[in-house]
Amino acid sequence: MSAAGLLARRNLTRNRVRFIVSVGGAALALSLTLALDAIYAGVANQLTTYIDRSGADVWVAQAGVRNLHMVASWLPDSATGKVRAVTGVADSMPILYSTDTIVAREERAVAYVIGLPIDARMGGPWNVVEGSNRVARGEIIVDRGFAKKADVSIGDTVTVLGGEARIVGLSAGTASLINSVAFVSFDDFRAMRSGAPVVSFVLVKVAQAASPEAVAAAIERQVPDVTVQTAADFSSQERRLVTDMSADVISIMSAIGFVVGLAVVALTVYVATLARRREFGVLKALGARDRVLYRVVLAQAVLSMALGFAIGLAFTWLLGLLVARTDLDLELAITVASVVKVGLFAAVIAGLAAILPIRQVAGLDPAVVFRRGVAA
Amino acid sequence: MLLARRNLFRDRTRFLLSVLGVAVSIGLIVLLAGYRSGIYRQASAYLDNTPGTIVVAERGIRDFLGTSSVLPPNAVKAVAGTPGVARVIPVVSQFVIFERHGRKDGFFLIGYDTAAGGGPWKLAQGREPAVDDELVIDRTTAQQHEIAIGDQIRLLDREVTVVGLSDETTFWAGSIAFARISTLESLLRAPGLRSFLIVIPTAGTSPDALRETLSIRGAEVLLKNDVIANDRKLLARVYDAPIGLMVAIAFVVGVLVVGLVIYTATIERRREYGAIKAIGARNRTLYRVVTTQAFIAAVAGAVVGIGLAYGAGAGLMAWRPQFRVEIEPVAVGVVLAASLVMALLAALVPARAVAGLEPAEVFRG
Repeated sequence: MSAAGLLARRNLTRNRVRFIVSVGGAALALSLTLALDAIYAGVANQLTTYIDRSGADVWVAQAGVRNLHMVASWLPDSATGKVRAVTGVADSMPILYSTDTIVAREERAVAYVIGLPIDARMGGPWNVVEGSNRVARGEIIVDRGFAKKADVSIGDTVTVLGGEARIVGLSAGTASLINSVAFVSFDDFRAMRSGAPVVSFVLVKVAQAASPEAVAAAIERQVPDVTVQTAADFSSQERRLVTDMSADVISIMSAIGFVVGLAVVALTVYVATLARRREFGVLKALGARDRVLYRVVLAQAVLSMALGFAIGLAFTWLLGLLVARTDLDLELAITVASVVKVGLFAAVIAGLAAILPIRQVAGLDPAVVFRRGVAA
Repeated sequence: MLLARRNLFRDRTRFLLSVLGVAVSIGLIVLLAGYRSGIYRQASAYLDNTPGTIVVAERGIRDFLGTSSVLPPNAVKAVAGTPGVARVIPVVSQFVIFERHGRKDGFFLIGYDTAAGGGPWKLAQGREPAVDDELVIDRTTAQQHEIAIGDQIRLLDREVTVVGLSDETTFWAGSIAFARISTLESLLRAPGLRSFLIVIPTAGTSPDALRETLSIRGAEVLLKNDVIANDRKLLARVYDAPIGLMVAIAFVVGVLVVGLVIYTATIERRREYGAIKAIGARNRTLYRVVTTQAFIAAVAGAVVGIGLAYGAGAGLMAWRPQFRVEIEPVAVGVVLAASLVMALLAALVPARAVAGLEPAEVFRG
């Protein structure tokens, strides 16, 4: 380590309280942004779970529908047959879908309610931990977290779509911060929704040799009034829902985290420099050039920020582990993009934080060392 | 206490920094709290501004925003025929995503009957939808997506024409848009669909009494205020964890900053404190000096911080009108109390340093 680096480290670490405050403050401020990014990335992950685990290669929706969350998609019944007739389609199956409140005892929760045909080959629960993975009329499969919160189990009744259904299975991995997924029979769903001959989505498996993109394009050409997407496209559209809608909130919170981090680190480096005025004066009196002293100050800021960044990252990661153990259904996903962004933040903060103390050092009179009684 | 003041004010930069540190933290907390209240206020905008005191929803549904309610077909008739009902406002609601200029945005689409009411309450420009496939959208949303009256926008599988712009209709995940009920019926391929009924009781009928009388199979009869409260709970599930986390971080940062500044100010005056001790001052006196310093910094910081929050809130709303910041007096009070707690916590550290001081220190080099 260079002399400037050594001096910076000594200046920083000699006063333990100040050191802890400086690094801790930087860590907290950076965690603000890291944690928020992680929360939104986690929400995006959760949002696409059903699409990712549905087993379908291609999704056929009402024209103009490119998302799943909370939306409505209604196609005429005849669409299923037309989709099946398209070359490259190995299997196709309709589902009904609505965002509804499900109620069991006192517990009420928002759920994607999926209406599944009895012989469903796609779109069903992918991890049933108890009971059946098929739903017949009058039956429902709910997320096990919901069942636990409501204190119900297999055989108990749930209010759904304005009617009632008996729990026959509990599934895992079907809950997010916002909603869970519940599965009822296709016929029940249709009956509860006035019996109109409509379906929400047609799920498609493509033939072995066919590419999902080509089949999707072919369906869109041959079936009227539909929007067709591969599962991968559908999933990335769904992610964009989160990024587009939360972009402003994220940038505001990031700005706030930036200002707080800047305030804390600037203050601690400034105070640390102030307290070492005599030492800096001695160095100046001995002939050290201002440049060297600036480097010391800058190194202090960089060291605080670097440590703060590492701790902030560890803190966010730990927070993610802790949150995963709670009933919150919140997932924290730390992405590379977010780490890079916050790292850049930290570098800029370190640079800005050094400006004030550098001015202090620059204005320092070497003679300060010869005076008595100056704050030490 | 003169000593406390002198200690603080002698170095003006440091005093300013400490006040600024507290101000930034307090400002952040007040702003976040205001942002949260703003979200809640926006969430209930439609129900707040639509007449009526009772909401009829699908059985099991008790909120207005979160789910797609579908009423049994006979509901409108049954409710309208109940004694004590003055007027019924039928509503079809559906959340839809629309995309323009490559950016997704949400419409909370309300289908209403122009004769019965339930449409935009503050039309800034244009008119209400007169025929199918006409739409009133929020004015801020229109600005953001560069949509003017007369423009066509794509809504699911059709093109609709924007005929009016409304105010006070932005909310957390997009904005409210209005169309005729029949437009939604055909968009959702559900003729006769009704999501909610908003009921106005006759004069002299209390909402509670009417709620008791109204009984419709497959439907839930709720007080409008309860529905609003349930919508807030729904939002709280999504928003309270992140906002709470940030408020906690801001609080800790505030404590750290005040503590650090007071600590440094105290340490640097060690010799003076030693001298006071040497002439017989008790630790209690020194604690008081340190605590007073912390209080002055915290109170000054809190005042500046609240001003900062108001300024930042106004700036934010000017820059992004879809955000609404509602700073409530209660929140300001809580934050003021929090800043005093901050100051007390922050004073603990330097107080320990003072207490451990040897009076003899003053006589050393």
